[in-house]
Amino acid sequence: MLALDIRNLNKKYPHFQIKDVSFQLEKGYIMGFIGANGAGKTTTIKSILNMVQVDSGEIYILGKNIADHEIELKQEIGCAFGDIDFYTRSKIKTLTDITKKFYKNWNDETYYNYLKRFKLDENKKIAELSRGMKVKYSLALALSHGAKLLILDEPTSGLDPVSRDDLLDIFQELIIGGEISILFSTHITSDLERCADYITFIEHGQIIASSEKNELKESYRLLSGSEAQLNEVREHLISYKINSFGFTGLIHAKDIDPSSSLRATTPSLDEIMIYFAKKEDVYV
Amino acid sequence: MYNLVMKDLKLGVNPWFFVLPLIMGGLMLIPGWVYFIVPLYFCFITIPNMFGGFKSQNDLMFSTMMPVTKTDIVKSRITVVVILELIHLLAAMIFSIFTFRLYPHLTYIFYPPHMGFWGLCFIMLAIFNIIFISMYYKTAYKYGAATTASTTAAILFAGVAQWAGIQSPWVNDIFYGSGTDNTALQLSILIAGIVIFIAFTLIAYRIAVKRFMKVEIL
Repeated sequence: MLALDIRNLNKKYPHFQIKDVSFQLEKGYIMGFIGANGAGKTTTIKSILNMVQVDSGEIYILGKNIADHEIELKQEIGCAFGDIDFYTRSKIKTLTDITKKFYKNWNDETYYNYLKRFKLDENKKIAELSRGMKVKYSLALALSHGAKLLILDEPTSGLDPVSRDDLLDIFQELIIGGEISILFSTHITSDLERCADYITFIEHGQIIASSEKNELKESYRLLSGSEAQLNEVREHLISYKINSFGFTGLIHAKDIDPSSSLRATTPSLDEIMIYFAKKEDVYV
Repeated sequence: MYNLVMKDLKLGVNPWFFVLPLIMGGLMLIPGWVYFIVPLYFCFITIPNMFGGFKSQNDLMFSTMMPVTKTDIVKSRITVVVILELIHLLAAMIFSIFTFRLYPHLTYIFYPPHMGFWGLCFIMLAIFNIIFISMYYKTAYKYGAATTASTTAAILFAGVAQWAGIQSPWVNDIFYGSGTDNTALQLSILIAGIVIFIAFTLIAYRIAVKRFMKVEIL
C-alpha cells in the first residue's frame, strides 16, 4: 500500500513553478526528499498538507484523496517544520493540552513515554528548547496522535552531528513496525545515505529522480579524465567541472561508452545534487 | 471549531484583554464624556495587539496543521472577536447604570448612555467588523491596513452619529430628550443595532471564508 501518492502536481508562481511533480512512498519506508534551497521541497510539502493551492494534480494519502478527506487524513499525518516555532513563550504542557484536543486517537500514555524517551521536560517553554528538542517535541505530538505518515520539512537542518544521529536513529526505529512512513526533506544528504530507503530528488521545481537509494546512485556515474578526453563525452555529460587535473563530470550510467578509458565512480547524493544544480546554471 | 476557539482563548489572547473591558468600562464613570470611545478602545488596543500576537506566534501555520477546515479557522477567529466585543459592550453597559446613579442631573453634550446609544455602539462595531474581518482575510496575517481602515470607519460613524445627535432636533429628542423615557423606542434601537451587528458580522464571515480559501500558508 502507498502511504503517499503524488500525481502530476503543478503550481505556478510568478518566478517559480512546480512542474509535473509525481512520486510515491510505500508504507513503512523512509523517503528522503532532496534538492537545493529553493528547489521546491517546501512548496511540494505544503501542497501535500493543503496549505498551498495547487493548479492541478492529485495527492493521495493512505489511499485517500487529500482534497476530499482533508480533516480525516490530517488525523493520520504528523508534521514538523524545522524552522518554524509556535507560541514559543508557552510551556510544552500548555501547548500539548491545546493540541491533543484536536485528535481523536490521542494517547496520553504514548505521549508521556515519548517525553521520557526524548528527555523533554513538559514544564519547559518552547523557547527554551534546542532545535533538536523542538523536532523531538513535534515527533512526540505526531506519534501520540497515532500518525501513520510523518511529513518533516528539514528536521535535521541546523542540528549538531550528535542530535542528527540521534534523530536518524529514532526515524529508523519508528518504521520498524511497518505502520509508519516518513517523508523528510533535507539538503544534508549524508542523513539520507544513513537512513533513507528511497530518494526523491527535486531541482528547479521538477522531479529529477525518485527511486530506491542505491538504484538512484547507480544510475549515475562520475567521470574524470584529462581535458583532452572531455570532448569525447562532453555532450553526454549532465554537467562538468574543470580543474587543474582535467575534468570531473556527471553522466547517466546508460550513456557511458563501455570502451571508454575514463575513470568512472559511483557518485554520492551530494555530487548528484551539485552537478544537477550546475547544469541548470549553465543553461539558464 | 470549539477546540480552535479554546486554543485562541487559552493561547492566542493574552488574559489582559479579558480584563481590559472592565477597566475601559470604568471610563463610563467620567461624567458626560464621549462614551463612543469606550468600545472603540477595543479597536485601538485589543485588535492590533491580539492580531500582532497571532502573526508573531505563527498561529496561522499552527491552526492549518491541525485537523480542521479553513472555514472553521475563520469561524472560530470571528467568534473570539465577537466574544471580546460583547465583553467590552456588556462591561460598559453595566458601568453606565452607575453613571446615571452618580450624576442624575447632568446635562449631556455627548450621547448619554441610554439603551439606544448602545444600539449605535453595536452598529459602530458592525461597521468595524465588516471592514476589518474582510480585509484581514485577504492575507490572514496583515492586520495593519485592515485595522486602520476599519477603525477609521468606526470613528467616522461615531462622529457622524454624534453630529446628528447635536444638530438634528429629531435625533436629539430620541437620544437626549423625551425619547429616552420611551423604553420601547430605546429597546427597539438597541435591538436594531444588534441585528445590524449580527448581519454585518455574518456577511464579513462569508467574505472572509471566500478570501481565506485562496490564501497560501507560507
